[in-house]
Parts: sequence; C-alpha cells; structure tokens
Amino acid sequence: MTAPLLSVQNLSISFGGLKAVSDFSLDLHDGDLQGLIGPNGAGKTTCFNLLTGVYCADDGEMKLAGESINRKKPFQITAAGMARTFQNIRLFQELTVLENVKVACHLHARQSLAGAVLRSPFAGREERAIDDRSRAILDRLGLLARADEAATSLPYGDQRRLEIARALATEPKVLLLDEPAAGMNPQEKIELTQLIAFIREQFKVAVLLIEHDMKLVMSICEKITVLDHGETIACGNADEVQGNSKVIEAYLGEA
Amino acid sequence: MLDYAAKPRTAEPSWLGGLIAPAIVIALAFVLYAVVRPITDDYYARVAMNVGIAIIMAVSLNIVNGYTGQFSLGHAAFFAIGGYTAAGISYYASIELWNSPAAHEGLFNAQSGLFLLATIAGGLVAAAAGWLVGLPSLRLRGDYLAIVTLGFGEIVRVLLQQTNNQLDSKAKIAAAKWSELFPPPLNAARSFINIPNITNFFWVTLMVGACLIFAWRLKRSTFGRAMIAIRENEVAAEAMGVNITRLKVWAFVFAAFFAGIAGSLYAHLSFQLNPGDSGIQRSIDAVIMVVLGGLGSISGATLAAILLTIGNEWLREPTHLWYYVLPLLVLRLIFWPANRMKAAIGWLVALGLAEGARSLAIYEGVAPGDYRMILYALALILMMILRPSGLFGTREITDLPAMRRKLLNRKSVQRGIEVIQ
Repeated sequence: MTAPLLSVQNLSISFGGLKAVSDFSLDLHDGDLQGLIGPNGAGKTTCFNLLTGVYCADDGEMKLAGESINRKKPFQITAAGMARTFQNIRLFQELTVLENVKVACHLHARQSLAGAVLRSPFAGREERAIDDRSRAILDRLGLLARADEAATSLPYGDQRRLEIARALATEPKVLLLDEPAAGMNPQEKIELTQLIAFIREQFKVAVLLIEHDMKLVMSICEKITVLDHGETIACGNADEVQGNSKVIEAYLGEA
Repeated sequence: MLDYAAKPRTAEPSWLGGLIAPAIVIALAFVLYAVVRPITDDYYARVAMNVGIAIIMAVSLNIVNGYTGQFSLGHAAFFAIGGYTAAGISYYASIELWNSPAAHEGLFNAQSGLFLLATIAGGLVAAAAGWLVGLPSLRLRGDYLAIVTLGFGEIVRVLLQQTNNQLDSKAKIAAAKWSELFPPPLNAARSFINIPNITNFFWVTLMVGACLIFAWRLKRSTFGRAMIAIRENEVAAEAMGVNITRLKVWAFVFAAFFAGIAGSLYAHLSFQLNPGDSGIQRSIDAVIMVVLGGLGSISGATLAAILLTIGNEWLREPTHLWYYVLPLLVLRLIFWPANRMKAAIGWLVALGLAEGARSLAIYEGVAPGDYRMILYALALILMMILRPSGLFGTREITDLPAMRRKLLNRKSVQRGIEVIQ
C-alpha cells in the first residue's frame, strides 16, 4: 500500500460550544474518487474549509503528499496541490471566462513584478504560456467558445464547469468539489458525472466530492464518508453505507 | 484543430517592445516642454500641470480602490509625505550647494538632477508609509479600512504640524541646534515657502507617463489580474492560490509611491506647501475621480481627473466659451449608449447649465467655485443613477471600438427583426 496522497487524522474544530467537526479522518490515494455526504448542517463544508485552510483546526493532522499542511494559509495549500470549488458559486464576475482561469495560473507564474512592468521577454513568454494553458483547459471543458464572455453571463451549469476549470488551472493533485450538482437539472447532472470521470482521467487528480444527490454519489464514488453532527458515522463503499443503520437513522430519523 | 493554436501570433517578445511606450512619453515630454510650453499662457500651463498631478493621484489611487477593491480615504497623506520629503531635500540641498533655493535656468542641470532624486526619495518615503498603512488592510475591509486610512491622514497632518520652523540660509542651518533640526524644519504648521520652482511640462509629462505605463502594464499582467480577482472575490482568489496578503500591501505601496511623486511635482510647482494642500479634501477629490471614471479603469480615472481639474478652473470663472466642451463631454459620456434623442437632450441640458452658470457669474457676481462640492455631489448622484459603474466601468479606452461594434451589431439586428415583422 502506497502512502496516501491526502491523509487527514482526527481533525476537529468547534465554534464556541458547538463541535462542528470532531475526529474527522480520511485517506485519499492517487486517482481516488471519494464522497462526503451527510444531512444539512452535518459539517461537510466545514471539513472542506478546514482542509483548504479557511478555518484553522483545533486539533488534528493533515498531510498532502507527505507534507504537513496544518496551519497553512489557503493560497499555500492551493500551491501545495489541493484546489476546491465552492458550494455557492464564487467566480470573478467582472472578469471574462478566460481571465477567471488565468487568475488561477498566477500561482505558477515565475515572472517578477519588475519583469511584468518592464515587459521583459520572459514575462511576455510566460504571459503567452498562461494564455495558451488557460485556453487549453477551457477547450477540454468545452468552454472555449465562451472564453471572452463575462463570467456572469454563463448559464448556471457552465458557471459550475468554469469553477472546476479554474480549480484545475492551479494544477492540483487533489480536487475538492463542494456540491457541484447543486441546482442542476437531471441532464446537467449526467453531464457532470461524465465530466468528473473525464477530469479524473485527463488531469490525474484525486477527487473528494460533497454532494446531496445520493444517486450521483452512489453511482460514481468508490468510497463514501458519512457525517452527522460533525461526527463520522459511517465509511465504506456505496452498499456498505446504504445498509448502515446509523446512516438511515441520520437521513430518515429514528424508526 | 484547436482554436487557440490557430490564433495569429504577434512577434516574439523582446525588450524592444516594452521600450516603445516609454520612448513615446519621453519624446512627448520634450515636445511639450520645448514647443508647446513657450506658446502657452502661464495660467493655462499651470492648469495643465495641475491636470497632470491630478491624473497621477487618480490613477495611483485606482490601484488600491479600483484594482484590489480596498477603500482608501487617505491618499492625500502620501501626497503630503512625498511633497514635504522632496521639497525638504531640494530646498535645503539647494541652499547648501548654491546658497539659494531659487530655481536654475534650463531643463537639465545639477538642480534638476537633485529634483529627480528628491522626487524619487519622496515617492519611496511615501511608499514606506503606504506599506505601514497596507498592513491593517489585511485585517480590515470596506468601511473599517476607510476609517483607518482616514485616521492615518489625520495622523500625518498632525505630525507634520509638529515640524520645526523653516531655516532660510546656510548660516542658520549651520548654527541650528539639534532640537531645531528634529523634527525636520519643514514649517508644515504654517507654510513651507520658497521651494525651488522646478516642475515643468517635461517633468509632469514624464511622471504622468511613468504612472500610466506602470498602472497599465500592472493591470494587464498576471499580478494585476490577481489584484482584480481579490476585488471580485477575496475568498475565491485566495483559494485559487493568490497571495492576497502580499498583493494588498503591494497595491498600497505602489499607490503611495506615485502619490508621493505627485506631491513632489505639486510642491515644486507651487513654491510653497500648506497643510491644507494635503487635507481630506484632496483625498476625497481623488476618490471622486476614481469612482466617476469607473473603478479599475485607468482611462476613466484619467478622464475624470482631466474633467474635474478643468471643471474647477471653469467654476472659478465660468466665462470662457470653450469650457462648454467640458460639461458637454461629460453628459455625452453619461448618455453614451443611449439613443439620439436622449443624447440631444443631454447636449441641450449641458448648454443650459453652462450658459446659466456663465450668466450668473457675469451678472450676479456669484462665484460658482464656492459650490464646487455641491456640484461634485450632484454629478456623483447623477452618475450613480445613470451609470453606476462610472464613465468607463471597468473597461479601457482601447475597448471602445469593440464596444461600439457590439452596439452597432445589436442595433442592426434589431432593425432587421423589425423589417421581417
């Protein structure tokens, strides 16, 4: 067994007296596609915020590719190779679709500010490379035709797609998707399922997915972690989770 | 075949391409200095240089308020810091070196070299102050940051008032006790006078050009995009790997640097610096220019700086016919995408307003300049109702042809539909 790409041990955080997440553990290996589910308010997004450094965990250990990412800032964690999308879409609205992706390429830009302002050949070539790379990513996600439109003018499904494109532009090893299917119609959900499989293959990323749509999660995730009131109540493949009495209780209430 | 691969390529990047704009600026500076200035009336020359200084203030504030979306109300403090630093250096160095602070003849001489160094020093000191102010911006947002910057402006003003009295000869400097030299003898409580009058068309053009080129290239670079991303969505920007801490402080540093340079130009233009020159009024003027022009738009900030500075002069004495151009232009811009009827009404209203102000001034002895702030406020209110994104929105003047094409297309499409129906 190789060492996991992302390893999380006993992660906990409380807000005031509320234990939002307690003892959350997770191992994500290369090429994994795992799901994180749970009823509303179970602490799924809090988990993502802990992993990406938006919140600072009270307790616990996080390692990404063998490197500790405890107490790192969000941009450092992104640089270390973990990118995310947001539950409520957070695009750079005034920027074009292409520029949204270009912003994510800033992370790997090596030019100096002086170089950019003096227009050094290096900065010029890099700017060109950023443009090419961004267009290539948009092309693979089917958004190239709309590259020069404002991000807000995209239909809802495409905005979600753009969020994924933007996250991929940071060259992540791990991609966290926070309810990517929220608000999508069945057709869009099918496309999303295909898209997730496609990017996993094409961009060689491990995916951790928060999702409400059970059908979607059960159909594509190899391993599912179920949270309720901040605690992990079940963990396993689709069948195991579905048969777990605690899970049924959490979703349907006590019998 | 992919679209992006088929895109026609411009020439391979080289250092040469980046030198074209600076070369044009330097050539223009020489032409303005040697050809235009001799045939320009002193009064208009003075207005023109004030326009240049206002452009630097607006375009540099735009880096903070427009790019990163932080709301700073303390831009005049950097102006004051740069102005007093540069004026202090050039004044006392001139006395030490040449026994007199009077300006020397000619464009390039030892004193203009000194002026250039003093200006850059003023910019650097202001930039250091900008770094200090930038630090709280990491924790504060919106209104809170505005209050902090406002407070910073007051601190600078009060500190400047503690400076010692001015020393006006070499002998006095030599005889001065340490207590007279620290705090520095900038006489900022009253008025720091006899600053060498070195600012001219050449230097103003050069600095405006430097500021515009810097702001433009910054905006078009990966750093500028990251700054604008911070404005658009700070959480997302950080999640996409943008080091928001660094860029927010940088924005303050760059803006302060150029504000300091503007302060130096102003000091060396006016012979004297007063505490009032760098009060809250100047900060607010700069904010109005940025908002009126459109947050993030360099063209907008530049245009607003030109309009408001000339507007000030016009309000002082609204009797010159050619000043009609100004309100007309403003209204034309406000009603930009509107139809011809609206535009025509706009022109008429502008004419009426201008004519009204002119007659008032002539026949009633009213000084409309006294109502400047009311008129600014009205202009802002009108703007917020009619074009809330400012004259240019976030676009630039280079985007205009494309915008116009789009507009025409839309109109022709509509007309086509009408014909079919």
